[in-house]
Amino acid sequence: MSEFLAQENIVPRPYQSDHQNISPWLDEQIWGHRIWDSQTPWLLFLEFLTVAEGCLRENKLFDEKGVYYPTQFRPYRRLYLRNILFNNECIFRIDKIYSDSRRAWKEWFEKIEKIAQGVPNRDFTYLQDRFPTFHDFAALIATLRNTAVESNTNRRWSSRFIFPFGSYTLYEDLNLKSGRPSREYINFGRTGELLYLMLCRSRYNEDIRSPVEDALKGKNRLNSLIRLLQPNESEDLQLKGYSYLPYKRHPSFDLLGEDWNSIFNMGLPAFDAFQHLVQLGSFHMMLYQLRTAVWFCSYGKKVRFICEAIAPKKTLIRELSIINYQENNVLTTSAVENYVSQIAQSDSWKSAIEESDSEIDAFTRCKGIMRDEVWWSDDYDGPSNIYSLIAELRNIAMKGHQQHAGNVHRVYGRLVGLVSKRGTNRLRYAPNDALLKSLIIANVSNRMELNKFLDKLYQKYGLIFGEREAEQVLPCESFDQKAFQANTQRLERRLSSMGMLRRLSDACAYVINPFAREE
Amino acid sequence: MKRAEDWIRFLRKYGPIARNGNMFDEDIIRTSMRTGIAPITFEHPLIERLISCFDPFSDSLKSVILTGAAGDGKTHLCRQVWEKLGGDCEVWASDEPYVQTTIQHSRKGLIQIHIIRDLSAWVPQQGMVWPAAKEDLIVRFCNLLFMGDPNELFLIAANDGQLIETWRRLDAHKIAMKVSALFEKLLVEDKEEDPSVRLKFFNLSKISCAELFEQALKAIISHERWKDCFEGENGESITFGRQSPIRKNYELLCDSLVRERLKTLFDLCDYNDLHVPVREILLLLANAILGHPDCGGRLMIPNDVARVINSGTVSKASLYNNIFGGNLSVISQDSIPVFNYFNLFRIGRETTNRIDNLLIYGEEDEQFQPVFAQLIGSDSFYGANAAYHSAKRTYIEGADEDNESYKTFLDQLVAHRRALFFKIPHDQEDALGLWELTIFRYAGEFRKKVFHALKEGHKVERRILSRLVKGLNRIWVGMLVDDDRELYLATGLSFSNARVSRILAERISVNPRLGQKVDIILKNNKPVLLVALSKHITCTFQLSLIRYEFLSRVADGALPNSFSKECYEDIMSFKSQALAALSRRRDEDEEEKDEDLVFRLLRIDEHGNPIEESVEALDV
Repeated sequence: MSEFLAQENIVPRPYQSDHQNISPWLDEQIWGHRIWDSQTPWLLFLEFLTVAEGCLRENKLFDEKGVYYPTQFRPYRRLYLRNILFNNECIFRIDKIYSDSRRAWKEWFEKIEKIAQGVPNRDFTYLQDRFPTFHDFAALIATLRNTAVESNTNRRWSSRFIFPFGSYTLYEDLNLKSGRPSREYINFGRTGELLYLMLCRSRYNEDIRSPVEDALKGKNRLNSLIRLLQPNESEDLQLKGYSYLPYKRHPSFDLLGEDWNSIFNMGLPAFDAFQHLVQLGSFHMMLYQLRTAVWFCSYGKKVRFICEAIAPKKTLIRELSIINYQENNVLTTSAVENYVSQIAQSDSWKSAIEESDSEIDAFTRCKGIMRDEVWWSDDYDGPSNIYSLIAELRNIAMKGHQQHAGNVHRVYGRLVGLVSKRGTNRLRYAPNDALLKSLIIANVSNRMELNKFLDKLYQKYGLIFGEREAEQVLPCESFDQKAFQANTQRLERRLSSMGMLRRLSDACAYVINPFAREE
Repeated sequence: MKRAEDWIRFLRKYGPIARNGNMFDEDIIRTSMRTGIAPITFEHPLIERLISCFDPFSDSLKSVILTGAAGDGKTHLCRQVWEKLGGDCEVWASDEPYVQTTIQHSRKGLIQIHIIRDLSAWVPQQGMVWPAAKEDLIVRFCNLLFMGDPNELFLIAANDGQLIETWRRLDAHKIAMKVSALFEKLLVEDKEEDPSVRLKFFNLSKISCAELFEQALKAIISHERWKDCFEGENGESITFGRQSPIRKNYELLCDSLVRERLKTLFDLCDYNDLHVPVREILLLLANAILGHPDCGGRLMIPNDVARVINSGTVSKASLYNNIFGGNLSVISQDSIPVFNYFNLFRIGRETTNRIDNLLIYGEEDEQFQPVFAQLIGSDSFYGANAAYHSAKRTYIEGADEDNESYKTFLDQLVAHRRALFFKIPHDQEDALGLWELTIFRYAGEFRKKVFHALKEGHKVERRILSRLVKGLNRIWVGMLVDDDRELYLATGLSFSNARVSRILAERISVNPRLGQKVDIILKNNKPVLLVALSKHITCTFQLSLIRYEFLSRVADGALPNSFSKECYEDIMSFKSQALAALSRRRDEDEEEKDEDLVFRLLRIDEHGNPIEESVEALDV
């Protein structure tokens, strides 16, 4: 069993009354509340920023002060801004029709008053003094809208987000179906909150505090512009939080922190660092899930990913990678199964059976244990025997798991560019250019010899490209030196075409971080 | 006759045949001693500077690292140093990787010279423990580098990978780590020296392969043994007579146009930073003369010639095709870098309607007849022979759907296009579109009007600069901008490298104005695009041929797929550099930063003119 599963490393589980809708509490106890599959990397990052911003305002950024639960924060809603940006199609028409700025403003105020939703007061006239003409206003809104995060998806306007230029751009996901705003969990499914907690508990929490604080404060003209789009009055904020991350320490937290820290240290211009934070954030979330799963499976194996450097046709590496993907893809399911089995093998369960004088007594006692352990059993209406009870829990747990947490490996894997179907109809690991770029920026401060880089990718993430790494993990019969050499060569060609590798000769190549600052 | 035949067999040893790579130099020397045939030698461009490091009258004695890829001639150069220093030939012939000698220095007296001619053979194998003596020697070398006036010197030859690897294995010694970092720096930054150490670091992979080619070619065609082949009786024999493909290929290599075009191919390698070692240049030349796909090892020996002539397969010995390794199997072509590089230019595969019309209909078409006769018809060796005519007829008539005969003809077309690349005379280059036979349509222009023009101290034509600026603008802005008078530095609101960048940061005048300018200049002997944001703040972008081609094609309105992915990121990182330079200028001049709320939005009108519009918010 992993040292990280020791009792002193586990955060006491929350009160059930905080999470009355959740039953069974099982995925949540293994990975946290909650690891949610239908959240894209950007939305995960935005949710993280929203939590961080709330905590910064209360002077507790990345500092849980020894209390691991509950983390609470008060996110903004910024409904004026959101109406202006995303619930405002008329602005462009008005800008086109009226050359007279005053008439344009008048027309627009009348329109927006009718359209606006969720704002306490439908008065947008504060805007008129803040722009020289209506056209300036409209042109800037058009430009800002271009920066919307995932603007090509068809989300309703209350779930659309502006690029995070700074604090004034951050707000929570909302549902306005009833006309009154309420919290929406579809886009902000709490995984961003887990990301925040992971960083709090990472060894690098002190190092990244200041750059994250700068990003949140956003001393830049775009954040100022966004501020000008909002009225001066402060909004009434509501308390949110109660996410649960089960581990006080975890190797994944440190690796995540390390990578973010490296990215910040590159000093990339303006907001260019974000795309890498976004990508690596979700990548580490996926790694966290698999690594944790392995602890519960008690395989004792390191999670690893045999990666194909995209080849034009089928290769041995692709075959190996497909199999490897399928093995990894059942890790979390096995973890859930094992977790359920462990309940039935626990001392309390056994003694409940031993101490009972009848089968029904044992059943009642075990039902009690289950209620305490996973907050489930009251809904159970099957036969009154413990075997059916366990079987039913397994059944329900698997169903629940497969709906969401069980998809994270596949969904996040694809979204961060690790998992791909390119050139085949089956999934395998074939990192795309963007992911490779982020990995280089996070791991190569200036330049690094290629073999050393490949070794680092393996040690840190379990990514396998080259023969040296493959040889360590593959059984002799699957290891083909030539195939892995060719794979490395393909990787090399790709990095080189991205300007991120220099080959000096057939014996010597360096991975280059193109953003390295000159020494 | 035997002398002539021996020579051909000797030459064949330089060709693409299996052999012991590490011992190439030693092998050739041994064969040479045995047969009495002088090896193919020429003065290496580095030799003088190398020997001067050990000059007994010099006051700047330096140790030397001689690095480079396999086949760059490291061992060969070491041997020349050894001989120059009066080292014993017997000792050298011993194959001992580490040898020593002394020189009598005019001022310092006796100086010991350590030569490690093959580092990989000398260091203990991976995983083995270092013998103390060897470890000490390397540490001694490291310490020596930092000493003022040494009385012993080293010459160490190793390929760069081994060099780095060997020093990494000595990481217990601080000094070795320091030297290792130094090697890395010299390698990656392409430097010969570092002020902190007494060391010359010669990287043979950095020597222009076009220059080496010229020397190698001269050495091969002027070799004394050719006389034995072509003069007197032998010159009338089947093997070396007028009908002999060996002789024909030799004569073609002596032809000035063929030589020039061949050199151009090596130029293209240089322009693309593709390095060809000396050994491979010799390999290519030996293969060019002797290549024939139907002979043993796909290289002719004297006995083969009669059979080749009688079987009517002389055309398969075509030098034009052999230059690209066309006589070899695809696997061999792929495994030999020089053929790999030459095939990147896709000569034979790229074509135009004009060229194909000439080849297919040239004989019958009035318009093409004279050119066809001149370039193809008159070539009784590798021109249009009976087999070509019959394959062509089948192809044109297209009567049966026999893929095999189509393929035969298409293969022949490839060979003919390759031949054309070496045959089109200067005055018809433009009319026939010589460079359109390659993937680099702008290569001729790049060579003549950029590279050579700059070397001769001329300025690059304005029209070329304008084209590159236009290409750069289109890529940086992400819109079909037509302006070439100013360079547009634009970003997205969120990402500086957004595909479409609508926020204008700065316009830089191409003509010199207030310290700003865009120009093409030479830097470290290579053409670079220079963008000056002020008198002191500039950034440069090396114009490799592929980048030049890419920018030019983008400016012409086409985004070739094969190039786009490769070059796009590259050119975008140059934009990042330019943006960084801009921010330096703003810091320095205390210019207004982009912190006020005025935004310069960029769009283009229907004619492709960029239009700048300022919009603003008022900070209340």
